[in-house]
Amino acid sequence: MLQVVSACSNDPYPSDDQTRKVLYRAFPEAPKTLDPAVAYTTSAHAITGNIYEGLLEYDYVARPYQLVPALATGVPEAVSAPDGTIRYHFELRPGVRYADDACFELSESESSKSESSHSEIPDSPGSTPTTRSVTTRDLEFSFQRLADPAVASPIAQNFAKIRGFRQFSANLEQRRERDASFAARPPHEQYALVGGIEGVHLLNELELDLVLDAPYPQLLYWLAMPFTAPVPWEAVAYYDGEEGRPHFRDHPVGTGPFVLTRYNKQALMVLEQNPRWREWPQPAPGHIAPLGPRAGSRLPFIERVEYRREKEAIPAFGKFLQGYYDGSAIIEESFDRVIQEDQLSSDMAERGMRLEKSVEPGIYYLGFNMDDPVVGAPAGERGRKLRQAMSLVIDIDELSRLFLNGRGVPANSPVPPGLFGYDPEYRNPYREVDVERAKQLLIEAGYPGGIDAETGRPLKLGFDTPDTTSTAQLRSQFHIDAWRSIGIDVELRATTYNQFQEKMRNGAFQLFRWGWIADYPDPENFLFLLESSNGRTRSGGPNTANFSNAEYDALFAEMKDRPNDERRGELIREMQSILERERPWIELYHPEDYSLVSPWLENVKPFGMSYPMLKYYDIDPDERARLRAEWNQPIVWPAYALAGLSVLIVVPGIFTFFRERV
Amino acid sequence: MVWLSNGAVVVVLALASLAGIAVRRNPLWHDAMRRLARRRPITLMALSVFGLIALLDSVCWVGGETGPGSGDAVAAYEARSLLDRWFEPESFRERSYSAPFAAEEFYGAAPLEHPGEHWLGTDVLGRDVFFLTLKGFRVALLIGGFTSLIVIPIALAFGIAAGYFGGRVDDAVFFLISTLASIPSLLLLIALIMVLGRGTTQVCIALGITSWVSLARLVRAETFRLRELDYVEAARALGVSEFQIILRHILPNLAHLVVITFVLLFSSMVLAETILAYLGVGVDGSWGQMIDRAKDEFSRDPVVWWNLSAASAALFALLLSVNLLGDALRDVLDPRTLREL
Repeated sequence: MLQVVSACSNDPYPSDDQTRKVLYRAFPEAPKTLDPAVAYTTSAHAITGNIYEGLLEYDYVARPYQLVPALATGVPEAVSAPDGTIRYHFELRPGVRYADDACFELSESESSKSESSHSEIPDSPGSTPTTRSVTTRDLEFSFQRLADPAVASPIAQNFAKIRGFRQFSANLEQRRERDASFAARPPHEQYALVGGIEGVHLLNELELDLVLDAPYPQLLYWLAMPFTAPVPWEAVAYYDGEEGRPHFRDHPVGTGPFVLTRYNKQALMVLEQNPRWREWPQPAPGHIAPLGPRAGSRLPFIERVEYRREKEAIPAFGKFLQGYYDGSAIIEESFDRVIQEDQLSSDMAERGMRLEKSVEPGIYYLGFNMDDPVVGAPAGERGRKLRQAMSLVIDIDELSRLFLNGRGVPANSPVPPGLFGYDPEYRNPYREVDVERAKQLLIEAGYPGGIDAETGRPLKLGFDTPDTTSTAQLRSQFHIDAWRSIGIDVELRATTYNQFQEKMRNGAFQLFRWGWIADYPDPENFLFLLESSNGRTRSGGPNTANFSNAEYDALFAEMKDRPNDERRGELIREMQSILERERPWIELYHPEDYSLVSPWLENVKPFGMSYPMLKYYDIDPDERARLRAEWNQPIVWPAYALAGLSVLIVVPGIFTFFRERV
Repeated sequence: MVWLSNGAVVVVLALASLAGIAVRRNPLWHDAMRRLARRRPITLMALSVFGLIALLDSVCWVGGETGPGSGDAVAAYEARSLLDRWFEPESFRERSYSAPFAAEEFYGAAPLEHPGEHWLGTDVLGRDVFFLTLKGFRVALLIGGFTSLIVIPIALAFGIAAGYFGGRVDDAVFFLISTLASIPSLLLLIALIMVLGRGTTQVCIALGITSWVSLARLVRAETFRLRELDYVEAARALGVSEFQIILRHILPNLAHLVVITFVLLFSSMVLAETILAYLGVGVDGSWGQMIDRAKDEFSRDPVVWWNLSAASAALFALLLSVNLLGDALRDVLDPRTLREL
């Protein structure tokens, strides 16, 4: 019995994987699509970001975030032409190849017919190629796919400043409607027939220019995401979801450090090293130098990544604690057990777990409807003082303590840490708690003690939130209690997210709570939320507060397309001081992400934005095997107890049986 | 709102005294109630206490002083009930969680403003849990009582019509009953609340619409039996109008069914609201909502148990008393069980 019990192990993985560098991850829900032009969720980027590679990427360690070249040879400067156009010149690294894939074999004969200009370099003469080099044509194809209305990329409008981008979409759509035989051709042939995008200008196989109609420096950030990564037209044509072939969205083919070798959405996703990855010299030493002695050695370190499906958070966290997953977010339920006084609990520290904190580039805020006659701009000085007073009583430290487990950086302005223009020294005078001053401001605003002279009762305002769960209501109640303390009677109107958005569109609200997570790390992506042409009720834009200030708009126009120089910092400071005074928002906090890392996982640095860096990770498998064995000592006594119990039950039965027989 | 709440108190008190008088006049009912009081004295006492708490929380008016050092400048302009005035929740609160009778905060161990005075601790916003639990009695009684008042007339009308007239009327009513009975009631409830909107009245109406079916079936079956009895036949032969027969001979004989179902419905309605609150569509201030909020606290470590326990215990106490009462009522009112005693 003892032998049976001790021979059992709860290890869910094959034993010969114990000594290999296999990274284990949990996923709750498979991404809907792995098409790099479409995938726009964190869970999808965790996969596509490792399979595809764009022209640029972010530096793994540098903060504020810094762009470095990936497939390109350098980060280009914008060159403006006399006709007002902007030109970016990219040079592709030579010898970049796609991961091996069947689609290259099968389309070889075709390609030699139609694409004679392609430089096919077979690996060894005589064999069918299973890969091919990346050329600027592949990049062009990716841009064309982004513009293709049938691909339905969620970020297509961000590329609209590329010359001819919209025109290409329109031409393509028209031609498809008119001509059914055209629509039946594979996409790359369609694109070639329509004539390409004017602003994506191929100079030769390795050089390309992007021509923009107007300045848009944020374009480079988009190029660091998987959206514009080179995609082989063979794969898109071949993987069409017919005749047993998977659809392209389920079968990615890219140039990145990993290849998706198994894709079972219900259970398991496996990424394996791509042997074709980066056959050019490694990134300059020092690039990952802060991570230890591995600088300059060949990436990636881990052989394989296994994503296993865990529908529920608690069991997944349990397996992490047993050592069967190598990292985990901290689930709400166990937060107080894992984190004590903002540090790892002694139990966790003893196990050697590491806590990685990173501030996400995002902000949560309470907003005022600036079109409202009571709290908004029409109320003039009265409204401004009212907003200032209401801002002065929201205690962010208390909110963070009660509801965020301390995970949040108090926000003084819309710009979050890690971005250009964030000033850690800056303190917004209206984001401190000062009840006396708030009461004084209310008197000046004409609401002494919160009493509205018209009704003789406390001023009544409405507060809209997009969440009806009871925990969210408690959080709203926290704000309401704060406002009640200065005599303002705020009524909560919690609705579903759709109803909430409807109200925001119609402008039928006074106060609201919302948040914003950046797409790319530029202050423009936050400050544009208060620019008047983006007004929600006027234009459906993201300026939900309907803030409209001519001075702010002028500063914003000058700031948005400037490089990160001193003048830009100055402009941002001026904009902050307008927001400080006008108070269209009560800034709450920048969300902070805490994650746990197992002791054997190395080179981990959290990134904030969805940008997977698996190629830098390293694992110590021996240490892992040792700790797994230590953490998973079988508990044997319940088995003995059960056995004892069954004996106690059975023995009297046997006695009775024999007695009856006799 | 003030007048609605106070008006409801007057109506409830008036109905109670009317019922009391009616019971006193009728020797059969009088006898039954006497036996009930003898069988379940503690249950009756507990229920009266619950009712009293709900009444105290219903009588309200604007004005008067709020608690000393109140952190709430709006409360003085709102209608506050006797219960509110007694507890003064505006000042009788802490900053966050504290355990029952604790002298310091649960997390961080800062000293409390009212050490040892929170019998059931405080919630995440520092509100007294004992007070919130007491407030829940009014909501629970309102849901149970109001819904039953909606259900009983509908069920009686349909049940008697179907049972007494039979034929086409019965077909029509039974079609309606089977249709409603074949829709999963929880889904129907949620759909109705989505249509009607959130709020106490809306939830009660939705609960009423979905739960009259079983009582209607009972009433229909009983009416079938009653209309064949000799005295009903005799009344019909004498030419008494249908309406008079229903009023004089059918309805009084259904009274015990109504009373028992009222009590049982009451508890199932309170329970149904708890489930609705768990799904996020409950009534503000109900125990269901408290439990819903507390479900995350229970998985905290160290565990915050007093919110969930207080609401569950109160719910349990009310439902147990109501069910015991229902049981006893059936024993007392049903002639068949009577004979055995």
